[in-house]
Amino acid sequence: MTRLPAVLALALLPLVLASLFWDPAMLRAVAERDPALARTILMELRLPRTALAVLIGGALGLGGAAMQGLLRNALASPDVLGPSTGASLGAVFAGYFLGGGVLAVAAGGMAGALVALALLLALAGPAAGTATLVLAGVAISALAGALVNLALSLAPSPYALYDVMFWLLGSLADRSLPQLGIAAPIILVAGALLLRQARSLDSLALGEDVAETLGVDVARLRWTVVVATGVMVGAGVAVAGSIGFVGLVVPHLVRPLVGNRPGATLLPAMLAGAVLLVAADMAVRVPVNGQELKLGVLTALLGAPFFLWLVVKGR
Amino acid sequence: MKRVAASGLAAATLLVAVSAVASLPTLAPKPPPALALDLPAPPAPVRPRRVASLNLCTDELALLLAAPGQLVSISRLGAEPRETPVATRARGLARNRGRVTDIVALQPDLVLTSAGDASAATAARRLGFAVVNVVQPRSLAEVSANIRQVARALDRAAAGEALIARMLADLGPRPSAPVPALIIGGGGQTIAADGLSAQWLRHAGLQQQRVTRGQVDLERLLSDPPQVLVISRYYPGQMSANQNWLAHPAIAALPAAVQRIETDGRVWTCGGPLVAAEVARLRALVRR
Repeated sequence: MTRLPAVLALALLPLVLASLFWDPAMLRAVAERDPALARTILMELRLPRTALAVLIGGALGLGGAAMQGLLRNALASPDVLGPSTGASLGAVFAGYFLGGGVLAVAAGGMAGALVALALLLALAGPAAGTATLVLAGVAISALAGALVNLALSLAPSPYALYDVMFWLLGSLADRSLPQLGIAAPIILVAGALLLRQARSLDSLALGEDVAETLGVDVARLRWTVVVATGVMVGAGVAVAGSIGFVGLVVPHLVRPLVGNRPGATLLPAMLAGAVLLVAADMAVRVPVNGQELKLGVLTALLGAPFFLWLVVKGR
Repeated sequence: MKRVAASGLAAATLLVAVSAVASLPTLAPKPPPALALDLPAPPAPVRPRRVASLNLCTDELALLLAAPGQLVSISRLGAEPRETPVATRARGLARNRGRVTDIVALQPDLVLTSAGDASAATAARRLGFAVVNVVQPRSLAEVSANIRQVARALDRAAAGEALIARMLADLGPRPSAPVPALIIGGGGQTIAADGLSAQWLRHAGLQQQRVTRGQVDLERLLSDPPQVLVISRYYPGQMSANQNWLAHPAIAALPAAVQRIETDGRVWTCGGPLVAAEVARLRALVRR
């Protein structure tokens, strides 16, 4: 049980190296011609791309596990219930209409995710039934997605319609070190805060009353999880767009391996999310029919059948 | 409401322009002797007095060629200084959103449409308007043919020949031994190596590198840098994911041997006669 995080961390290492040194023949050829240029490719392009895949994959996996634990619902996750799309909306609004820079876009992303989460909890209540929660979440997600489309249609930039794809499907291509510099500290701090809620989430699985008698401040736990998840997802979306299904799928993959305890799911879900996104981000670099897939398309291709399987299994 | 239509139209026009450039290699029919086919009656020597243009590219030609007072309406994009350098000539003209319904009330005696929007020409003809439908040029010869076509329709043949002469003078002879180059816009959008824009660039002494799918990513740019990087500025300073791409530190980190030149992105949208002066400017800047 405690070996699972170690196994996942070991699996992550070679994937990270493969992502950094992707297409070694090209790198070697460039290095022979111009070593400084090869270093630029590694430091300015590969490093932020790989590090962001690890951080955002981890954030989505951890955020999904924490939301599923808090709401005691297997369908809860940032991408299904709205925070991811809300973050896109916030980022788009801050960037395109308030004329914000990278920091403002990140702040907008976080605000958007938090508003979507707050709306979700207000609509569905803290421990709502699956139907209510999913209906509310899907409605928020669809509304935010439509508003992203609307906002970009209204944006004065002639490029804006191209950007819809980025904000709704996500991409880690051509990210920069400054973008990593903004997302990394936010995700690390919020992630550490979430990981510390493991024991409280385990207690909460026994019911709110039991958790209270075990000394858990349930109201505080709820706020911590909501704010940390929203901030983490928002910061990730602001630099990489809204990447779907990682947060939904990953906790389900690891939960059976940790005895179905929500608290124990957090760390392995974070690591498995990182593994999944780093792998998916490498897969999109392989051209299919001469075209590169969008990251969100690939994660949805993997995640949607899993969602269907959840539905069939739950019937 | 106004902004919705304008930006939607801008994006649509951009898409048309980009896809037209991208699809260049596959299409190569001869330029049509368009005037004879497109005017319902044989070219009348009567000078049209109420001309309406529905597309940015026909706006540019009309604003360059028409006599004072001959135009009554151009598209919003033609009047937008961020879209075309000739927008300053559009003062006082009615603006349309590129739709025939916008100009019916003006009762134009000639409607200029772009072949990129087939439905506009069809609709205008059905309403009984005289229509000149201008194709997207695929070669410098077609750019001249389009100028002649519009000039004759406006009964401004002399102005057309003068514009062509000015264009050819700006272009000059094609420099031999062109330098490998890459022209990039926001998001790494670029052009086909054998399309019209590449032919223009060739007159600046630049040979566009071959690129798949009309787009370069930064890894491709850094792993095989061109000798000259032409950066197209279009709506500079405006937030979008594509614009931010141009600010990526990796572009600044390109070797010093790579010459970076900025170009006015507006003229490349239509690839018409306005490109010629820009080509002359680029040619003077290129280090050989």
